[in-house]
Amino acid sequence: MVLPRIKWHANCLSPHEKINRRKKTLQILLNGLIQGALFALMGLAFSLVYSTTRVLHVALGAIYALAPYILLASLNAGLGWGGSLILAIGFAVLAGMLCEEILHWPFLRRGAPPEVHLIGSLGMFLVLVQVIAILWGNDVQVLRNGVDTVYSFGDLRLTRAQVLGGAGAVTVISSFFLWLRRTELGMQFRAMADNPVLLSLLGRDVRKLRRLVFGMSAGLVALASLGSAYDTGFDPHGGLDAVLVGIVATIVGGRGSLAGAVLAGLLLGVIRSEVVLFASARWEQAATFAILALILFFRPQGLFGRMLRLEERA
Amino acid sequence: MSYLLHLLIFFQIYVIVAMSLNLLIGYGGLLQIAHAAYFGIGAYAAALLWTKLGIGFVPGLMGAAAMAAVLSLLVSLPSWRFRGDYFVMISLAVQVVLYSLMYNWMDVTNGPYGITAIPRPAFSGSTSAIQWEIFAIYAIIVLLLACVLAAAKHSPFGRSLQAMRDDELAARSLGIPVRRLKVEAFLLASALVGVAGGLYAAYVGYIDPTSFTLDESILMLSMVIVGGTGNVRGPLIGAAVLIAIPEILRFLSLPDAVAANVRLLAYGLLLILMMHWRPQGLAGRYRFE
Repeated sequence: MVLPRIKWHANCLSPHEKINRRKKTLQILLNGLIQGALFALMGLAFSLVYSTTRVLHVALGAIYALAPYILLASLNAGLGWGGSLILAIGFAVLAGMLCEEILHWPFLRRGAPPEVHLIGSLGMFLVLVQVIAILWGNDVQVLRNGVDTVYSFGDLRLTRAQVLGGAGAVTVISSFFLWLRRTELGMQFRAMADNPVLLSLLGRDVRKLRRLVFGMSAGLVALASLGSAYDTGFDPHGGLDAVLVGIVATIVGGRGSLAGAVLAGLLLGVIRSEVVLFASARWEQAATFAILALILFFRPQGLFGRMLRLEERA
Repeated sequence: MSYLLHLLIFFQIYVIVAMSLNLLIGYGGLLQIAHAAYFGIGAYAAALLWTKLGIGFVPGLMGAAAMAAVLSLLVSLPSWRFRGDYFVMISLAVQVVLYSLMYNWMDVTNGPYGITAIPRPAFSGSTSAIQWEIFAIYAIIVLLLACVLAAAKHSPFGRSLQAMRDDELAARSLGIPVRRLKVEAFLLASALVGVAGGLYAAYVGYIDPTSFTLDESILMLSMVIVGGTGNVRGPLIGAAVLIAIPEILRFLSLPDAVAANVRLLAYGLLLILMMHWRPQGLAGRYRFE
């Protein structure tokens, strides 16, 4: 039998070592939170589409893969970081709206079931990812060369990529929620999540709103993608894992709860970095889905979701 | 000739895959996305039984079917509780978890290195006739399984499955045991695709986890979607079309680096086009309502 070594070990540590251990724990928690902030962006993006249009937007994974390539291409073409960033996000937004225009809007008008939306989106995912791979190759690429600059905050160390990614994600997420709560358009978003048919009967342009939803979610995904691409590089096939994280965050957070998806994203980031520490990076993805299974089993409405009646579940 | 035989053998394998997936999608209305994972489970189970334990060809296939059938509980039990979107997400999760198991469980599956030197089924030892022999053996198996499935369609089992697909609540109120039916459908479909996985492993001789990814699941899905759901000939046509596509693309003499990408691109386009213009597939009867 294997004894619980770590605990035993921790009890006989010198005070100095104990402090070191605490620092390490704190550092890993922080790393997890920053990773989680990017996951929260994914969760928010996926949940935004899902809660307003009931579309499982798998093609977001392809948009995730697209953004850094546009950034790199325009950097190579001589545009500065600012211009390239705008261009990358702009292209992502266009791709998102394209999905709505050629798939989900026509399907909606035909009254197609959710399965048709999903299969179409899977097809779109395949097409976009393969186009990216044909244009730019299947290899991993990087946005920066050499070792990243490291900043020290007391005992904690953060790379520049982490600071940029974390700060960017927090800013975007908080301003998004402010916008959702404070503006007329934000209110229309929430109304559409509640009942799109009634909203259009009240004279609001649901088509325009849907286009906005798809565009915004693509923009959010592009930001998450650029944050992680700057940190660890990117390839055409990384979008799948990202969109799966977004899906899991949406379910764990609770159907229709945007804030829940954000919190679930943070939680996933922390748990995944603990898994990497205590087990291995190979089990990260399996751990994500283990969490999903636990949530579905014990709390199928999600952490922050409401239980709905059967006929309310659209 | 051996090239044509090679294609025909692949067609046989994928006919089983498409027919078993059609059982779930076409008859049961259950959108299963983890089919490639069960294909892989069957391939690994059979390959390990043949190489590690050295048992015969048919018992190995049976082991593959049994393994895939047992693991099908991973999808069928949640299907009691979750429908529509949530069920799709669960089968997506099962696909990813099973794949990561195949990729990471080094001790059993040898991880990304895969399993090599899987023995081929043959009566004579001659290498020139081996493809013919495999073709003949597989043809018998495919015919057998096709008969089982064709009979299942009009059996009480198949009819209740279709009733459940059309209206689950009404089916339940008529006394059809919906939960048991779902478990049985997944058991049968997964066992069949497990056999197909075993046949794949035996023919190719080498397996690694990259043959059982989500992309592969989407390919299987497109076979059923393109061919048509809800009848027997749909999957046949779908498997034939999707196996023909890469061979037609071969004549365009694309550079090797992008050939695989173009193939997947074609599958994706097909899916989108079918969803727009013929959601029930080329020869299908049922479409998602």
